[in-house]
Amino acid sequence: MRAYFSDIPRTLLAMGYWAFMLYLLVPLTLMMAMSFKDANFIAFPIGDLTLRWYSQVLHDKQFLEACLYTIAIAVATTFAATVIGVWIAMLIAQSGSRWSGILFALACLPAVVPGMISAISLRVFISTIDMPTGTGAIVLGHTVHAVPFVVVMALTRLRSMPPNLVDAARDLGADSIVAFFRVTLPYLGPAIAGGMIFCVLLSVDDFVRTFFLGGYRPTLPMLIFAKVQGGMSPEINAMATLVLIVTAAVGLYAEYMTRRSRSR
Amino acid sequence: MASIEAAQAELENGGPMPRYSTNISRIVNSRLYQLTLGAAVASRAGRLALLAAVPLLWLAFLHIGPIYQMAKISFLTSYPLQHGRPASYTLANYAIFFSESIYFMPLIRSFVFSLASTAITLIVVFPVAYYVAKIVRPDWRSKALLLLLVPFWAGELIRTFSVIMLLANRGALNFLLRDIGLIDRPIPMLYTSFSLGFGLIYLICLYMLLPLYSAIDKIPKHLLDAAADLGAGPFTRFRRIVLPLSRDGIVSGCSLVFLTCIGVFATPMLLGGPTNVMFPETISGFFHGASDKWPVGAAFALIMLVSALTTAGIFMRLVGGKATKLM
Repeated sequence: MRAYFSDIPRTLLAMGYWAFMLYLLVPLTLMMAMSFKDANFIAFPIGDLTLRWYSQVLHDKQFLEACLYTIAIAVATTFAATVIGVWIAMLIAQSGSRWSGILFALACLPAVVPGMISAISLRVFISTIDMPTGTGAIVLGHTVHAVPFVVVMALTRLRSMPPNLVDAARDLGADSIVAFFRVTLPYLGPAIAGGMIFCVLLSVDDFVRTFFLGGYRPTLPMLIFAKVQGGMSPEINAMATLVLIVTAAVGLYAEYMTRRSRSR
Repeated sequence: MASIEAAQAELENGGPMPRYSTNISRIVNSRLYQLTLGAAVASRAGRLALLAAVPLLWLAFLHIGPIYQMAKISFLTSYPLQHGRPASYTLANYAIFFSESIYFMPLIRSFVFSLASTAITLIVVFPVAYYVAKIVRPDWRSKALLLLLVPFWAGELIRTFSVIMLLANRGALNFLLRDIGLIDRPIPMLYTSFSLGFGLIYLICLYMLLPLYSAIDKIPKHLLDAAADLGAGPFTRFRRIVLPLSRDGIVSGCSLVFLTCIGVFATPMLLGGPTNVMFPETISGFFHGASDKWPVGAAFALIMLVSALTTAGIFMRLVGGKATKLM
């Protein structure tokens, strides 16, 4: 009897977990289901099913161009943010305790500034250095946003690195550049891979920075935003479903990779 | 023996670098490398410059620079600056904020919505995080967590859009309610405070999950068992052990959620409707079109930044945890 009663909180918590799960998944499932609706408007019940929205989206030149543009920005962002993030992490790891605290707080600053403020301040900043809005500005904004996450991931990995690895390399005659590329960088590998995928997802998802820093070429979030504001049809659902499947697959793969490297 | 000593002497005299047996040697032993990077890392100052120059420049120019420029512009009487005319500074841009309710009401609304969303998220997510961290069997734990993370990758706009599917007049919820006969005509849920709050919580709740999970995960299970053996009920165990020991997670989760929530731009525009204008939309109004209204917009943005960070700081001070793992 007593054991029965002590299970009540446990059962309640399990129910809470599944209810929360349902809350998370229901809207997205509805969104995906609506992409098969055979009508020009969005309304429940769904009724007849069709795949024509998908074929329309896949032949939509604007959508495909936005995809390519988004991917190009994400690749440039990831490359820049990884190089700079790892560099900052190296500096923080090698500086004294007083400096490392200040530097770490500075490195994390863009992650605690609300997105809107970050976008506005970058918009002001690029105009004071006479940089035009457009692709370069978007990449800069996304990179500033992504750097803190790379720093945190690289730093966590650096702190677990045995210091004698680099010492051994130096004893064997490597100068500090060679020691970095041959010893430290390979050791950071898993953290960098995780950080890079995170950068891609941050960049692909970002709306507010792109909105204020971009030119006339839309990225995927801007395209979806414009379509939602302009009037809704299941075409947006098909578009969003495709994007969702790709980003979720990438995200899950990243999570799987980082977990595997951590357990090893 | 003699040859080793000779080699060492040669090394100390700055003789030729040791040869590498890999193809890196081709780079390291090349004249170009020896004269540039190789020479730089040979001295302590050179090593320091190589390590610190780029990071410090990046941090100064791109982490502080934008905020500094925004703060500077917010005090200008006119913008853009004309050549030859000295810049004059004023507080008038800040005064505009307090002058009319269409300016300060959105900030209050942003704060109310963000604080309420943070509180609700904490209450809803805490049991879920506790369940995954402490009750799910260890081998199922990462799968249970992964399942929760799937919607995390959907992105801001897609998640906002999917909330529209649920709450629209001809959306799933109204259809369901009508189908089972509870209502005759659809309840307008979209473009109200309800849909806005619902969408914000839907957007941010997972930012709460990870800090809470990692904090609760660290609580030793034997503490809970010992408390139970000594006769503490579930509520006492929660209040005296789980809550104090997950303080860091609560602080970093709440700060992260609050700061994210207050800076969300697209979701309020799509879900809030014309009566629920949030502060980011107010600010963005000054940045459309010509740049002569930028000082006012910058002042507004600075007001929001300072008040949001102050709120987060006060919260951290009150609860007393460390937000060491803000991400």
